[in-house]
Amino acid sequence: MVSRRTVLGVAGGAVVAGAAVAAGEYALKATRDVEPVVPPSVDGHGRLLWRNWSGIESAYPAQRAAPAAEDELVAMVKSAPGPIRAVGAGHSFTRLVPTDGTLVSLDNFSGVSGHDVALLQATVKTGTRLGALGEMLAGVGQEMFAQPDINKQALGGALGTGTHGTGALQPALHGGVISFRMVTAKGDVVQASATESADIFNAARVGLGAFGIITEVTLQNRKLSRIRKRTELVPTGEALDRWPELKKAHRTVEIYVLPFTGMSAIITSDPTDDPVVPRGEDRENAALLELKMLRDYCAFAPWLRRWLAGQAMAGEKPVVAVDDGYKLLSNERPVRFNEMEYHLPAEVQATAAAEVLAAVEKNRPDVFFPFELRCIAADDAWLSPFYQRASGSVAVHAYYQNDYSFLVELVEPILRRYGGRPHWGKLNSLRARDFAALYPRFRDAQAVRQTLDPEGKFMNDYVRRVFVDG
Amino acid sequence: MRWLVILVCLAGCKRAAEEPAAQVAARAASMLPSDVRLAGLYRASCQNCHGHPESGAPPAGYHFAWDARWKQGLDTLLSHTIGGYNAMPAGGQCFACSPADYKVLIRFMAGQPADAS
Repeated sequence: MVSRRTVLGVAGGAVVAGAAVAAGEYALKATRDVEPVVPPSVDGHGRLLWRNWSGIESAYPAQRAAPAAEDELVAMVKSAPGPIRAVGAGHSFTRLVPTDGTLVSLDNFSGVSGHDVALLQATVKTGTRLGALGEMLAGVGQEMFAQPDINKQALGGALGTGTHGTGALQPALHGGVISFRMVTAKGDVVQASATESADIFNAARVGLGAFGIITEVTLQNRKLSRIRKRTELVPTGEALDRWPELKKAHRTVEIYVLPFTGMSAIITSDPTDDPVVPRGEDRENAALLELKMLRDYCAFAPWLRRWLAGQAMAGEKPVVAVDDGYKLLSNERPVRFNEMEYHLPAEVQATAAAEVLAAVEKNRPDVFFPFELRCIAADDAWLSPFYQRASGSVAVHAYYQNDYSFLVELVEPILRRYGGRPHWGKLNSLRARDFAALYPRFRDAQAVRQTLDPEGKFMNDYVRRVFVDG
Repeated sequence: MRWLVILVCLAGCKRAAEEPAAQVAARAASMLPSDVRLAGLYRASCQNCHGHPESGAPPAGYHFAWDARWKQGLDTLLSHTIGGYNAMPAGGQCFACSPADYKVLIRFMAGQPADAS
């Protein structure tokens, strides 16, 4: 985020330490961190535990498969017990993956299988992890238009859930997909693009693994570019006021709103020919834990929390790094959390974010993770949260050891009131009828899914809730 | 707080004296299991964190980070791997791995000899 001093400087840290002593037991009671209960590694049938990244979802699949090639995958889909669910890195917070049937890993489908130098296109296997993909594409002189914030997901999972980066003119990752190859429930292999099996292409590009298992995609990329990334701290009101201008001025821009501090980080990046200035040692996670410490010791006194944060951040200079975009824009996020993210009409994003911030600061002093505000260009995938709509996202996080019920109970009603569409991989309470109202082509997508998988081989309980009315 | 700061400082000083960070990072980034299949599993998942010290995960081959963990016993480390533990995500984000694979990969990262059995 910024330097270590940003959140708790030497003076600030000392005051926090004093506050901790003064607050004593009250502070501990106010902010209880509880390690989630870990289910047994193996169930009564000898089935191995699967658990998602944040730890709130789990399952004991009857079978696990890691096919080495497409023909193996086809044979598996024809014979394996359902529901068949493909898993990448397990980074989704929703129940997309859990199955008591078959869990399929595409880890053996990894790498760039071809590229076109002139057209700046690359064909990539969908088990490829994003953290590795940037370097692979750089090897052929390319980069994706969008770089998501986290680098751990598999490409297939990222595409299937509408994962995105930020930038008013930057589509989400699936916006770069010009064709894909998919194994259907019947064991057919379908090649789809805007001109070939176009309905399948439009419906399944963001498909939650409900239409089939996509094994590789061809991406329209751009030439590898060096960027200048700049991070500065400003008062939150100023950041939100500047948001429209920032979106016009920078290739990528996002705001991290730091709740209970009155401050926000504005992070921008733009192409440059400047010499490389490496990002250096990662201080963001240290800063995050310092925000937690501030929460731990000062949740009883929001005014003190805000004052200390202000003292620590005052005079902090902007941080600049220059390097290839994939090295600077995706990040390690080792501190686990649960998350809700909604995509709103761009023009209401800042207003909605301010309302969410006020609600959280009024009701949930245990929250310390930054909120993320990002912007995404419109695209034409039927189930894309950005379908025909330039969007602004608002993401709210809860530390994995803390209660996250406020995301659905407090935050979601606000974001829904502003017309938001939830990120498919992040917490939400919506079901088919809600999605039908939010997505103009939802019924068409339902029909395509029904045709491809009439028996629901790829549908677990959660996916059924999304696609089946009831 | 002061004692905590002192402990953190001492730990940092000891770590600095243990081995240069660049050396730790270079080794972690370059290590791969000799078995081709396990190398594929490792590259697709474990290496994403354990090959990059900035992730916060104990770097592969770095005894200073691994030895205390290894003392907990392989079964405990396996349990932490399958269910997740602190920043360690469940399954190490390797869902193609079997428990036997996990054990071999843990040994590999901890710099322990392969199980003769």
